[in-house]
Amino acid sequence: MTELLFKIIIIGDPTVGKTSFIQRYVNDSFRRDYKMTIGVDFALKVVKWTENQMIKLQLWDIAGQERFTSMTRVYYKDAHACVIMFDLTQRSTFQNAVNWKKDLDSKCSLTDGTPVPCLLLANKCDLSHREVEQSEIEKICREHDFIGWTEISVKEGIMIEEPMRFLMEEMMIKHTEMEGFSESMRQAASNPEAIHLKQQSTVLATQSGCGC
Amino acid sequence: MDEGCDGTGLCIDTGDGEFMEISLHSRNSFERKKNPSQDSGFEDRGSKSKKKGLSVSDFLTSRRILFSLSVSQNFFVKFVSHYGFEESKEVNRLRNLFSRKAKESEDDAEQGWKLFGRIPPKQAPDKDPQQITQEFQNKLRSVAQPKNSKKSDIEVMSTTALILENRPQNLPTKDPEEAEKHRQQYEAMVEAARKKELKELKMKKKQKQQQLKNEDKVVCAAKRWTDEILPNWETMKSQKKTRELWWHGIPTNVQGRVWQLAFGNDLNVTNELYEICCSRADDRIRMTIESSEIYGNSETSSEPPSSKESSVELIKLDVSRTFPQLCIFQKGGPYYDLLHSLLGAYACYRPDVGYVQGMSFIAAVLLLNMDVADAFVCFANLLNRPCQVAFFRVDEELMKVYFHTFEEFFDENMPGLYSHFKKHKVTPDLYITEWIFALFSKSLPLDIACRVWDVFCRDGEEFLFRTALGILKMYEDLLLHMDFCNLVQLLTKIPEDISGDTLFKHIDTIRMNIDKKRFNQVLAVNKES
Repeated sequence: MTELLFKIIIIGDPTVGKTSFIQRYVNDSFRRDYKMTIGVDFALKVVKWTENQMIKLQLWDIAGQERFTSMTRVYYKDAHACVIMFDLTQRSTFQNAVNWKKDLDSKCSLTDGTPVPCLLLANKCDLSHREVEQSEIEKICREHDFIGWTEISVKEGIMIEEPMRFLMEEMMIKHTEMEGFSESMRQAASNPEAIHLKQQSTVLATQSGCGC
Repeated sequence: MDEGCDGTGLCIDTGDGEFMEISLHSRNSFERKKNPSQDSGFEDRGSKSKKKGLSVSDFLTSRRILFSLSVSQNFFVKFVSHYGFEESKEVNRLRNLFSRKAKESEDDAEQGWKLFGRIPPKQAPDKDPQQITQEFQNKLRSVAQPKNSKKSDIEVMSTTALILENRPQNLPTKDPEEAEKHRQQYEAMVEAARKKELKELKMKKKQKQQQLKNEDKVVCAAKRWTDEILPNWETMKSQKKTRELWWHGIPTNVQGRVWQLAFGNDLNVTNELYEICCSRADDRIRMTIESSEIYGNSETSSEPPSSKESSVELIKLDVSRTFPQLCIFQKGGPYYDLLHSLLGAYACYRPDVGYVQGMSFIAAVLLLNMDVADAFVCFANLLNRPCQVAFFRVDEELMKVYFHTFEEFFDENMPGLYSHFKKHKVTPDLYITEWIFALFSKSLPLDIACRVWDVFCRDGEEFLFRTALGILKMYEDLLLHMDFCNLVQLLTKIPEDISGDTLFKHIDTIRMNIDKKRFNQVLAVNKES
């Protein structure tokens, strides 16, 4: 049994549901009364990937207030993947998702210099009120190099495992194809999977939309 | 059984292996109900026993549970009614339950079980009610006498009230050897139960004494704060005696007042200023609401709002996320509007700082201890302290200086744990950020956080870092065996059952000087370099 440890950072505007998402993913629980996150919180999820492969996900739940962005460099360091979340019912959080992506890419990249694989999650799809169209999300996803997007509902537990599984597949590919990915030490050669990744992202994108 | 086995004590008469007497205060409360007009002295007694919170039916119910646990099928169980119980409905009901009358059993020489000892002997003449009352009163009086006080202190009851009684007729006669064996088992059982109960009683007594002692201490401390210290604040505040008392926490009734005095008002913030800022904040909020109503929400916000404006927006979101478990800062709760006003007013008062997450917790703690205008004065002055300025302006360089200084004291106090943290790359910014931003009120139970605030008022910002080290010290043994993930998880989610006294004992062991330099001096050196 081998074990891999990946660091995933979860970022996005305040109250888009980062902490709730992590709690749902790790403990399958939902509460309305989470306190805000100041600084960073942590969670660990252990996934049995195959018969002889365990994956440990170290989840970094990072405070959403813009004021703290100057502190985030430390938190982003050595991340293997990223989840950027926004709230479908609050347009500004969607617009800021791009800023979060830019902030991430300006502060860290993988050991080969490529961007950290990043997933875009549109939360609160259970609510009838929505301020963001799917076509807009699709557009931003392509333009800003997200590996994929999906609508989710943390409250209803819709599309929680799937995107995380997709992210793990992504990291496993990187792990096998990119030397030093999981050690985040050495410099690797090039960017082998760009096209393939984009294709995958489209697949996930078309599957997405939880039908609410 | 004789009259010596009375009232409240415990009497086990194993001389003939027949029965024992357990006395119950609860009888009084029952008897009182039965004879409410008998005697005023008696009534007093009754009410006293009632205060102890044990009613006959409660008592019997609890006994019944015991029954089912300890009575084997070979034995027959029955309540023996002491007068007082005689006419209790509860007893009657139970008697029916066990479908056997007392008189039958008395004919039988065999042993069985009995509860609540004290069988009225068959040959004893029937007592008239007055006589019964008289006897009862005598007993009560004897209980009240000091010579019996020791006895009445130890109220062992329950299990030991099981007594041997005659074996039912329909069962075959027991082998004497077996009977003897059962008797011995029974006695051992009773003895063990009795010992256990005595032990528990002693524990309870000790706890109660401790509690009383603590309560006395609190009352005494409160008196000293209100009568001596507060009226002479300037002279008293730095006295050794005051500082010692201060360490143990400020009594809640004067906590707000002491905080106000200790945080001071260097900024000269007035209540009028608060009102002005408040109305300005209201205007701004109204404007944002109106503009979003007029222009719709999609187009006006096409540009992400600037940091300051969005910080006012964020207040709305964060107020409900402040002490959610208390349910008083949430929409519709009594403090929702107050917290909102206070934070909004501060964002107007200091637009250069605005609202920063963590502030809502600080403001909430203040609001819980004083009215809103005073809380605003405290809040503004508290946030004007150097450490708070550095953090709430998110001055990275200055924050690093604080982290670095903290690490020096960490290394000085717990070198082993410090190198363990280094090895696992656990840096202070990962866990101490939240502690400092919310002054521990988000991380520690509220009462403990308030006690930290108390001493923070006394010792200044170095105490925040001393508390942080105290937490590390408290969990040192645990932390030394953890890897990165467990370390940061424990430190960002401190167990809710953390004990304040234990924490303060550990904080007390933290030395806040390096080479005779205090925290502030080390900090000043680090600032320069």
